[in-house]
Amino acid sequence: MDPTLQTFENDVWWIALIKVLGVFVLLLLLTLFTINYERKVVARMAVRPGPNQVGPKGWLQSLTDGLKLPFKEEIIPRTADKVIYFIAPVISATCAFTAFAVIPFGPVVSIFGQQTALQVTDVPVSVLVVLACSSLGIYGVVLAGWASGSTYPLLGGLRSSAQMISYEVAMGLSIVAVFMMSGSMSTSEIVAAQGDGREVSLFGLDFTAPGWYAVLLAPSFVIYAISAVGETNRAPFDLPEAESELVGGFHTEYSSFKFALFFLAEYINMITVSALCTTLFLGGWHATWPITLWSGANTGWWPMLWFLAKVLLCLFVFIWLRATLPRMRYDQFMRFGWKVLIPVNLVWILLLATVRVLQTSDLEAQTRFTLIGAAVLVVVLVAVLWPSGKKAAPAPSLAEQIAARPQGSFPLPPLDLQVPPSPRVARQVAERQPADVSSDRSEV
Amino acid sequence: MSGGEATLFWILAPLAVIGALGMVLARNAVHSALWLVCTMLSLGVFYVAQAGPFIGMAQIIVYTGAIMMLFLFVLMLVGRDASDSLIETLRGQRVAAIVLGVGFAGIVGAGLSRALAGTGAIGLDAANENGNLQGIAQLLFTKYVFAFEVTSALLISAAVGAMILAHVERAKGEKPTQVDRMKARFAPGSYPGPKAGPGIFATSDSVATPARLPDGTFAERSISKILPVRELTSEESALKGTEK
Amino acid sequence: MEDLKAPSIDYAAVAPILILFGAACLGVVVEAFVPRRARHAVQLTLALLATLAGLVVVITQASTRVTTAVGALAIDGPAVFLQGAILVLALVSLLLMGERKLEPGGAFVPQAAITVGSEADERQAARAPGLTEVYPISLFAIAGMLLFVAANDLLTMFIALEVFSLPLYLLCALARRRRLLSQEAALKYFLLGSYASAFFLFGVALVYGFVGAVDLASIHTAAAESDRDPLLLYAGLALLSIGLLFKTAAVPFHVWTPDVYQGAPTPVTAFMAACTKVAAFGALLRVLYVGFNGLSWDFTPILGVVAVLTMIIGAVLAVTQTDIKRLLAYSSIANAGYLLVGVLASGERGLASTMFYLVAYGFSVLAAFAVVTLVRDADGEAGHLSRWAGLGRRSPLIAGLFTFILLAFAGIPLTSGFISKFAVFAAAMEGGQTWLVIAGVISSIVLAFPYLRVVVMMWLSDPSDATPTVSVPGVLTTAALAIGVAMTLLLGVAPSLLLDLTTGAAEFVQ
Repeated sequence: MDPTLQTFENDVWWIALIKVLGVFVLLLLLTLFTINYERKVVARMAVRPGPNQVGPKGWLQSLTDGLKLPFKEEIIPRTADKVIYFIAPVISATCAFTAFAVIPFGPVVSIFGQQTALQVTDVPVSVLVVLACSSLGIYGVVLAGWASGSTYPLLGGLRSSAQMISYEVAMGLSIVAVFMMSGSMSTSEIVAAQGDGREVSLFGLDFTAPGWYAVLLAPSFVIYAISAVGETNRAPFDLPEAESELVGGFHTEYSSFKFALFFLAEYINMITVSALCTTLFLGGWHATWPITLWSGANTGWWPMLWFLAKVLLCLFVFIWLRATLPRMRYDQFMRFGWKVLIPVNLVWILLLATVRVLQTSDLEAQTRFTLIGAAVLVVVLVAVLWPSGKKAAPAPSLAEQIAARPQGSFPLPPLDLQVPPSPRVARQVAERQPADVSSDRSEV
Repeated sequence: MSGGEATLFWILAPLAVIGALGMVLARNAVHSALWLVCTMLSLGVFYVAQAGPFIGMAQIIVYTGAIMMLFLFVLMLVGRDASDSLIETLRGQRVAAIVLGVGFAGIVGAGLSRALAGTGAIGLDAANENGNLQGIAQLLFTKYVFAFEVTSALLISAAVGAMILAHVERAKGEKPTQVDRMKARFAPGSYPGPKAGPGIFATSDSVATPARLPDGTFAERSISKILPVRELTSEESALKGTEK
Repeated sequence: MEDLKAPSIDYAAVAPILILFGAACLGVVVEAFVPRRARHAVQLTLALLATLAGLVVVITQASTRVTTAVGALAIDGPAVFLQGAILVLALVSLLLMGERKLEPGGAFVPQAAITVGSEADERQAARAPGLTEVYPISLFAIAGMLLFVAANDLLTMFIALEVFSLPLYLLCALARRRRLLSQEAALKYFLLGSYASAFFLFGVALVYGFVGAVDLASIHTAAAESDRDPLLLYAGLALLSIGLLFKTAAVPFHVWTPDVYQGAPTPVTAFMAACTKVAAFGALLRVLYVGFNGLSWDFTPILGVVAVLTMIIGAVLAVTQTDIKRLLAYSSIANAGYLLVGVLASGERGLASTMFYLVAYGFSVLAAFAVVTLVRDADGEAGHLSRWAGLGRRSPLIAGLFTFILLAFAGIPLTSGFISKFAVFAAAMEGGQTWLVIAGVISSIVLAFPYLRVVVMMWLSDPSDATPTVSVPGVLTTAALAIGVAMTLLLGVAPSLLLDLTTGAAEFVQ
């Protein structure tokens, strides 16, 4: 049964308490899991085993790390602004947890005889609540950078604030399309709006295509995915903590429990944007086609499984990105946000609004097609008539360039220099063994 | 006000006032901004509590999230020690401002409390009848559609103004871009790599001995300019044999 | 939920506003796509054409008397008349802004972001052509003013206030010479202006608290019929008035005026002195005559005191000024006082005389600032009064025109200044506000002194080495100056042309 906003007003206080606690515990567990998940996936992609020492197959590594962190020595720089230095990680972590309150995990179930939805609460503007929490969460990063009283963190904080303002706009705009399609800003209603798939018959095979907005609103989905990475400060957009430039970025001066809070916040943010992505674009807790052949797929506690599976899939993409892509340069990153994501988004929203108006208006089919045809014609004409840039003269060949060098240039070795093969090469190739990742416990 | 709302009010109202006072009184600009964030956040929650969830969330996202973040950005760029000078330009100005400000606040406060005593809220249910969002949309696109559309003119002129006042247009080629610099670095005639240090590829390991280039010539630039040229004695310049 | 119905808008009636907004947006696009060399010509032509088109539409709409856009706009007699006045005065101001003969590159800075006094700044001051963004920005300001005088609810009025104020703040900062002064003026104007806007908004909130609506008709009804304690309404009106009186530069909300008038580029000063005054008084008239006319017994004494203060302080401080632009600024403050007298005269006569005064004063002040742009030396305009000594010997034509304008300001017969002052004072006498008239006459006598001092200085002193040359004006400035002087003379000799028009237009719709 789909929950409505009324469902949440009927909750008794202890049910709400149970749900809050449940989400809290779930998030902590998911964080512990995700850290290991990330390390293992990245390791596989780098052809190495990853953590495999603590616990069964290394799965308790993050737990031990987490337990160890608070007992480390706490160091506060003398130039730090004490109060703000102290609150910054708290803001980060609190906001990260709060955002999860409006994420729907499943339909209405029975807990101790009470009918309640698997979602802490829902309000008519719950997607905005998530956005508000993420925008407040950035304060943690920015203030941490400022309060540390040192240069690298300050630069990290500066970058973070600029990054947040830029990518929050793109993210907000990408969600607008979802609002327009579903006619609501409440997460549970958006999930419900994606529940009805369409019957599709392809090559004589009947199946239900998912009503996911990731399919219907593909441009929005892509832009959301990109800006979500920017919003969570993850690679390749992890400029606020770029190790190669800023040591540790905003958390350079943090240690012990405060650092742990930042660590926690980063992973929870990742989980939150994945969960929001699932909710807004991937159909939320609704199962997709092959599973829906089983009639009980969308009832009871099962949907929570589908939901978590989708979230883990999103998280996998995050990790994949980190393992694959190098960090972007800062100016390119900002240019990408302002000059690509936002304009594309605006045009797309305009297009979508036009389509929606054409759908709902009582125009005749012929007028409608004429309008669409005219629009397409204009676009094609503009594309054809757009002045093309001048062709650059072909670059001179290497030999010509060398010949054109001025007198007194740096001397070069001859171009046809033959380097004899090193006698050691053959031996090295023979000695090297291929890396073995099939066994989890390699000999230490 | 229901019990919950009253509790919320009595917790957040002092916070909002403290935030406002803190913003005025804080010596550090960043602290000031943070106090303001506190006030704005409280106001956002008030709006939500008063059956205006959309405007409350918009307040939090736009004001605390974006605008105050911009403020912080600028403050951080300017530097943490930039605080106002406390010297009065006009003598007695501060006292006069405080007296007048408190007086004005007193008059307005007293007037409002007298005028609004015993006035209840009306029309809330009617306004939210079709949902809060839908109600706002209806007002924006019917009754206030002209005002709503005209705000776009405001935004355009603000954007153009920001460009005029802050953007220095550089003619092409006035400042080399990164690509230009890379091209120049690797262009024929220039030396792309780090130069060989003194004492390398040389007969002696002294910093006074220039490095040799691949074709065997001396690289004069490998020696520091401030090093005095020193005549070596014949003993020093002689090849050093191995120990016997 | 029932479907939204699109509100009906009388597009013909709001066409002037839409034309100006559209042209302004087009101007921004021009800025992006037209090559730099052609931009000035294209932008100036676009701005002039748009203003002219707006004016033509206003004239065709002369008999329109409607409220439209769900009551947000009232296109009635005063609105149409004032829109026409704003467009005509703006057209002349645009001519002044477009002038590039007097100074290579025009009166505006090429790049406002370059640090003052830096090497790049000196390079650009010498010859680089001025910013062309000023035209779309001015068009936005003009459109905002058109909206301001037609706004029939306080919310639309507030937004219109911001729409025309923001471009003015910007324009103030763009002077080519004395850039620090110009930037300081813009900052002062911006800070005080936003402060005044905040007062206005607070006033709107209080009025809404009393009435439960923001449209002027509801305010009128509620003020007449409600039996509640009207404290909120009074407080709201007081705060609203502060916001509006700030824009009209009435004492004690005038302190920004001299600095801003002095610092802003002279064409912009002319634009502000002529058009902003029309817009601000138009809105003030509408608020007082439509929304709060039931309370006129209550607000007249207070606004009367403001008017008297404005007249006296503006006149007395004008006497002490040594800079021509500051002198004109204080004179503009004093004139705001005379206009307030007209506003407080109430009734059709007061409305008509105020509207006449606005137009007459607008033309004279445009001509005055046009002359100010002409008198210049190597460092730009020669503002200090001592530099004007002996100008009459050097260039009798310009000095003669300026003398004529100053006499008009002083209210000498056969000029528009005399007729407009006479109309305003007569209306006030009829409305029973004799005390305002007495104060007005006294301040007029005081104010005549600084004007005559300038006249005496120009004609009876010998020119010294410091006396600057009068540049040969380009076509645009010549046209602006000619229009300003001709209208000042015409309205002085044959005022009935315009008086009939204002009398015919002097009725608000609810």
